[in-house]
Amino acid sequence: MTAYNDPLWQGLAELETRRHFLTRCSVGLAGTWLGGQAVGAESVGGESAGSGPIGLHFPPRARRVIFLHMAGGPSQLELFDYKRDLDKLDGEDCPASFLKGKRFAFIQGVPKMLGPQYPFQQCGQSGAWVSDRLPEFQSVVDKVCFVKSMSTTQFNHGPAQLLLHTGNQNLGSASFGSWAMYGLGSENQDLPGFIVLVSGGKTPSAGKSVWGSGFLPSVYQGVQCRSKGDPVLYLSNPASVSRDQRRRALDALERLNRATFEETGDPEVLTRISQYEMAFRMQTHATEAFDLTQESARTHQMYGTEPGKESFANNCLLARRLAERGVRFIQLFHWGWDSHGAGENEALNAGFKDRCREADRPMAALIKDLDQRGLLDDTLVIWGGEFGRTPMRENRGGREMKFVGRDHNPGAFTMWFAGGGMKPGCTFGETDELGYEAVVDKVSPHDLHATLLHALGIDHKRLTYLHQGLPQRLSNVTQPSRVVEELLA
Amino acid sequence: MNNSTFPSTRSLLTVTVLLAAMSFTIRLPAQETGAAVDFNTQIRPIFTRSCSACHGGVKQAGDVSFVYASQVLPPDGWIVEPGDPDASVLIERVKTDDPDLRMPPPDEHPEPLSDDDIALLERWVSEGAAWGDHWSLAPLAADRVPGVEKAEEPTADRAGTEAWVRQPMDRLVAAGLADHGLSPSGDAQPEQWLRRVSLDLTGLPPQPGQTEALRRRCDSATSAAEVDAIYAEQVDRLLASQRFGERWASVWMDLARYADSKGFEKDPHRDMWPYRDWLIRAFNDDMPYDQFTIKQLAGDLLDDPTADDLIATAFQRNTQTNTEGGTDDEEFRVAAVIDRVNTTWTVWQATTFGCVQCHSHPYDPLRQEEYYACMALFNNTQDADLDSDFPTLKVPAKDEQREAAIASQRRYQTLRDARNQLGRDLADTVQWSPLIPQTVTTTDGRLAFDGDRVRSEGGTFPVGVSYTVQAGAVPMTALRIEIFPLSDDPTSWPEQGSVLTHLKASLLKPDGTVIPIELVDVFADALSGPHDPRDCLTANKQGVGGYPKLHRPRWAVIVLKDRLSDVDGATLRLEMLQSANVTGNLATPLRHFRWSTSDDDAWPRLIASDDLADLSQSLADAKRAVDGIQGAQLPVVLPRSPAVARSTRIFIRGNWLERGDEVSPGIPEVFAGGRARDPIVVSDRLDLARWLVSDQNPLAARVWANRIWAQLFGIGLVETLEDFGSSGLQPSHPGLLEHLAARLRDVHHWRLKPLLREIVLSSTYRQTNQTTASLREKDPRNLLLARGPRTRLSAEMIRDQALAVSGLLCDDIGGPSVMPPQPDGVWQTVYSGAQWNTSAGAQRYRRALYTYWRRTSPYPSFLMFDSPTRDLCSARRIATNTPLQALVTLNDPVYVECAEALVKRAVSDTRKAAAGETVIESTAVDVIAWMYTAVTQRRPSELELNELSSLYADLHPDVSASESQIDEAAMAIVASTIMNLDRALTK
Repeated sequence: MTAYNDPLWQGLAELETRRHFLTRCSVGLAGTWLGGQAVGAESVGGESAGSGPIGLHFPPRARRVIFLHMAGGPSQLELFDYKRDLDKLDGEDCPASFLKGKRFAFIQGVPKMLGPQYPFQQCGQSGAWVSDRLPEFQSVVDKVCFVKSMSTTQFNHGPAQLLLHTGNQNLGSASFGSWAMYGLGSENQDLPGFIVLVSGGKTPSAGKSVWGSGFLPSVYQGVQCRSKGDPVLYLSNPASVSRDQRRRALDALERLNRATFEETGDPEVLTRISQYEMAFRMQTHATEAFDLTQESARTHQMYGTEPGKESFANNCLLARRLAERGVRFIQLFHWGWDSHGAGENEALNAGFKDRCREADRPMAALIKDLDQRGLLDDTLVIWGGEFGRTPMRENRGGREMKFVGRDHNPGAFTMWFAGGGMKPGCTFGETDELGYEAVVDKVSPHDLHATLLHALGIDHKRLTYLHQGLPQRLSNVTQPSRVVEELLA
Repeated sequence: MNNSTFPSTRSLLTVTVLLAAMSFTIRLPAQETGAAVDFNTQIRPIFTRSCSACHGGVKQAGDVSFVYASQVLPPDGWIVEPGDPDASVLIERVKTDDPDLRMPPPDEHPEPLSDDDIALLERWVSEGAAWGDHWSLAPLAADRVPGVEKAEEPTADRAGTEAWVRQPMDRLVAAGLADHGLSPSGDAQPEQWLRRVSLDLTGLPPQPGQTEALRRRCDSATSAAEVDAIYAEQVDRLLASQRFGERWASVWMDLARYADSKGFEKDPHRDMWPYRDWLIRAFNDDMPYDQFTIKQLAGDLLDDPTADDLIATAFQRNTQTNTEGGTDDEEFRVAAVIDRVNTTWTVWQATTFGCVQCHSHPYDPLRQEEYYACMALFNNTQDADLDSDFPTLKVPAKDEQREAAIASQRRYQTLRDARNQLGRDLADTVQWSPLIPQTVTTTDGRLAFDGDRVRSEGGTFPVGVSYTVQAGAVPMTALRIEIFPLSDDPTSWPEQGSVLTHLKASLLKPDGTVIPIELVDVFADALSGPHDPRDCLTANKQGVGGYPKLHRPRWAVIVLKDRLSDVDGATLRLEMLQSANVTGNLATPLRHFRWSTSDDDAWPRLIASDDLADLSQSLADAKRAVDGIQGAQLPVVLPRSPAVARSTRIFIRGNWLERGDEVSPGIPEVFAGGRARDPIVVSDRLDLARWLVSDQNPLAARVWANRIWAQLFGIGLVETLEDFGSSGLQPSHPGLLEHLAARLRDVHHWRLKPLLREIVLSSTYRQTNQTTASLREKDPRNLLLARGPRTRLSAEMIRDQALAVSGLLCDDIGGPSVMPPQPDGVWQTVYSGAQWNTSAGAQRYRRALYTYWRRTSPYPSFLMFDSPTRDLCSARRIATNTPLQALVTLNDPVYVECAEALVKRAVSDTRKAAAGETVIESTAVDVIAWMYTAVTQRRPSELELNELSSLYADLHPDVSASESQIDEAAMAIVASTIMNLDRALTK
């Protein structure tokens, strides 16, 4: 953090309050002011519940996160969770035992069972099952840790996405990335520390709340960047202002603000001066970071990227570039996995194939590329949707539909992880013989959060924020949660 | 607690990370010998910090809870023997060295309680172990003249203090400063004060010229009293400005979670702006806070509610409606009701009630069942998470049409109810005979019958399923259908909706002929949703039953046109179509029902009666009148008929699908006067609203006074604006908070303007915000108020100031939201064709509060300046300072446009100012000085003027150009620089 050598920061150091660290948004609760924090905690009461020092609690396995969210709920039964028995039952009435006490989004009455729609094969040394829809991904399975036994409580997109990203199905809680920023801060002063990239022209069902800061201060929210136009909103100078002119104006602004500081003594003025300087640097650094034309033809070939286009592939390559630059939390949203079969674009036998094509090569390339650059060791890549899909065929309105699809299934879905200290070539958890319910080593979103924070060196029970009378945490203080040690290398 | 810990707790994270900070107070507890131990400031903090995590509201290890007096003190409690520390288990357990007995347990808490804490506990017990309500629940005392308690302390500068005091509150502040060895700062310059007070009261900076005028008047005033009078005049002008209502409406909109969309997936548009207009009117009219409260929480329950009373209830409809296909409407109706409960307690009481959904409050005496008692207060409204936002009222944009339009809609509703009531009452008095089916068939799924009851038995019942029931025909004048939940267990209710949408009846003669039976009218147990019972005689998709959910058994009577008499050997055939559906084309079939018949001739008499004919005619007329009304469809709250009331049950562990015992409406015991002989009875929303603003509830006045203070000073007297409970912070100036709350309620009768007037004319508020190094070190966040506030402008003020100073601001008040320029591609929402269509003409320059607020994608520059998303009630904005903010005010086209306009305005204004006989063109220095003064209300110093002039010169190096010609492009960069000054962004 070279900024500390700046005379300005030295002046500020005398006036340092936690708030100024906080508002700079570059340093989390860990490190720099942890000492002061701990002293503060002691002086007002020692270690009552939830009041311990927060920040990095143990050595991190991962320093940053790339979360590839497949919005809509990709079918585990067509990708990773191969079920021979389901094939045998294809077309038969769903047994009553599967329907009792269940709530569905669209399935009504007694639906028919639906076998896997694509052939599977075992891949790599680890012998992980992957369907033929993901040929490129098949080559990286030995880097990947699969969790087949994910399950959630929510069966509608908005609430399920909120639960997966904020630990709470209702609005108002802070996203995973916000917690990471709150706990760890950013490693790069010249870029936002929590960047969101959306492909497919749509934000997720739950809106921007899935990367919102909820009850945490808004400074921790994700910054949505675009692969087209200004990567960060308002990054470019107006057409009428050149970079030199901007520099000249900021120099004047700094001198004028400094005079204000001398007159008022308000340290917030110094913070403001430094924020304007950071904004100026961000203009160069963010533009550069988002410039895909700097990449080689070979890399473009590997990812299937085309500079200037808004695509999941471009976002994967951007994710690597941002990871290289120390961005803490990079969240990608890909859209269109909601394979109900109510229309062609969201049918397992149509649109789903396109989604697989869009995602397969870039996500495999991302893992290989991070690996070859030595970044995979401390970058945690997460892949998954908000829930899975039913082994029954959807019968919307109680009728058989033209296209083939499956309804939402909160009972079982697959997520995978790569790098960041997760066990490579591992498959954890099992679903029942039809892939309907996670039955062995069930993992909830809360367990997931506890585990991922652990990988970042954070004790999920000790990273808290007081709101509505409770020391809130990502892993949700009202729900059980555990660190799934079995996933850690 | 001592003063040295005070600076370390100023962090914004204090509240957040230091649970232990809940015990923090600036007040020095009376620890010196002689004073009795005070439970609230000395004992409760020990309990909260060291005991309640295990012996609290959630965990009550060993059945001991330090949250409830009854579990600590006799007769029910057994751990404290008042007056006898040696006989008290509590004292024994904290003092013992035996690791098996010591509390807190050594394995988890190696350090025992400090000797000081133990000594305090012992003294407290020996003094009688008096328990006290939490400070915020103590009755609000009538305001005393402050300063009396200081009288016996003769101080050298007492006369000086008195001279400083302009308002009673100043005396309290001065006393607090004296305790810390500080004295107040001098008055701010008139310019600084006018900027502060204009932004605080109206959200806009003073207009060019106003500052100069004030300065001139003050300079020529001959006495301090005259200056004070001039200041008072300024304040009265600002309070009377229509801009006042806009500014304070925007404060309330965060609490009300105001938005122009419904939330969740598609996040579709909703017409909410008439509620915003109401807020602006209410603040401009200085509606007393008690009325303001009652209208928003229960305007629909007032006798003969006015249009505004009903519009105000939209406060509660700012909850979200989930229109995603396949969602359970009950799940999101419940979420909305829970949101209303939490919001109400946060807004009026600063009580964190949300956590009580799942379990009793860990630190405050709020029990889980009490949460659901509150929920019961809100559970019987007509809204049900329907996509249409039902119920809505059409609100015309024109003020003069509003009252009549709403009256007309109310008349329609009243007539509808009255007409239905005629048949409903009759149904209770006639004899009904069961109709025993001979056969029951269905187009889909399986049905079975047993006696007169028909139930579904499996299979799929899609939208459009039709049942046919045949039974031996009997003479009759009316049929009744009872629609039951499939389950007989009320804890599993509500069930999926159950609607009969079209009934056809016919008579099968023994000879095979089929004679249709004509049905003429339908009456239901209650009108409880968007459907009209008579729709089940038509082919539309509405009808009778429970929609969108079946909360309880329902019934409806279908009246025959003519008595069915010739029935010998004939069969009655009932064809029952069910084509209603909820979002996502989900069916709402009947799953359990029975038919019965009546042969009472009262039915034909009713059908032929003048009463019914008159009502039908009036209803048709009223319907026509309502159909002719043009206006916004404002979601409002209307009560659900008690005849079909929903029951409220505890959600076990907060899970809405796991329902426990039924609860009655009420408020928590701790608010209702505990176990007093005459506890306060609150049984509906109107009771609740009236109680909130009654003398029996001290919190509402404290909480509202605190919010007002925070708007002016940046930090509340209780910093945790959202939490006045044990986990919130204690007031920094308890006496001042009491004083303001009592003034607000008892002296000003809940009016905001006179309270604001007192505060902004006080010496405390009028202080300069410049500080010395020593004061800054001693009190960096100005909690002690030894100087004037210096705070960043809110997101709204930053936009409004830029528009105002550049002369672009559009003065229109009220109306639908507008769409100022926003970068392309910010709005990308699934399944929604909604477009951001940039407003044209003056509409693009409206004040910030009129900007279209889409929940899933709020206006980006506001979010960057710390606006909440308004998903939920937000009681406090925490001001941040980030590089993204710099990018907004430097590069957002809105601000670029303002900078350019500011230059044009300055050029033209300075040209005019210089104009005499001859036109003198503006000089660059004139223009710069004008802009600087317009933006900051302060004339630039020579240094500042030089700095900006040299900036202009460098940006405009072409010296050959005419001196009198301003280079507007270069000057716009200077203007932007001025608008980005720290001075411009703060007040």
